[in-house]
Amino acid sequence: MASETDSEIEPQERSNAESWVAGALGWVLPGLGHFYLGRRVRAAVFLLIIGTAVVIGCSLEGNLYRPMPDQPLSYLATLACMGTGLPYFLLRYGLGYAGHVVAPGYEYGSAFLITAGLMNLLLVLDVLDIARGRKT
Amino acid sequence: MSHILLMTVYALLVSLFFAVMQRREPRAQLRLFLQLFLGMMLGGLALAWLMYPFPSGPPAPIP
Repeated sequence: MASETDSEIEPQERSNAESWVAGALGWVLPGLGHFYLGRRVRAAVFLLIIGTAVVIGCSLEGNLYRPMPDQPLSYLATLACMGTGLPYFLLRYGLGYAGHVVAPGYEYGSAFLITAGLMNLLLVLDVLDIARGRKT
Repeated sequence: MSHILLMTVYALLVSLFFAVMQRREPRAQLRLFLQLFLGMMLGGLALAWLMYPFPSGPPAPIP
């Protein structure tokens, strides 16, 4: 499934600044942090997985959450959706996407969009671990 | 799309994600992928079967 070349890369400890740059890149675009650290095949796989989740979520017209003052849980959902990084802001501000509450796939689409964001947040932590030499 | 197809796609994406992130060797990745995928699919079907006798009730109001 993943690359043999990626698994052969030796752990390498990088500077603190470089770790944070990798983490930030990983948040901006899914897989970009891994690409920056030389894990190119893994980066492509992650971009494909998270990109697919976002595309499915949008095609089902799921909710791309935004904060609503009277609904405290919407803040958490917004943070989760923002985990996708640039795609969140492109969809929300660039394309004006918000989802459609009466669409048949609304709940499923929302689950896909939230999951995409949470997966990318996990990737940021993975990138930080790799950059600090804790993982290969 | 049907419910079962969406559940399958969701389980595929999530299983693949964790398999690639948590394991480095292809064999270990395949093993974890199968464990997660089958766990989610069978768990989902088991929950659906358990909930089947319960009535779903009126639809929730649209906010």
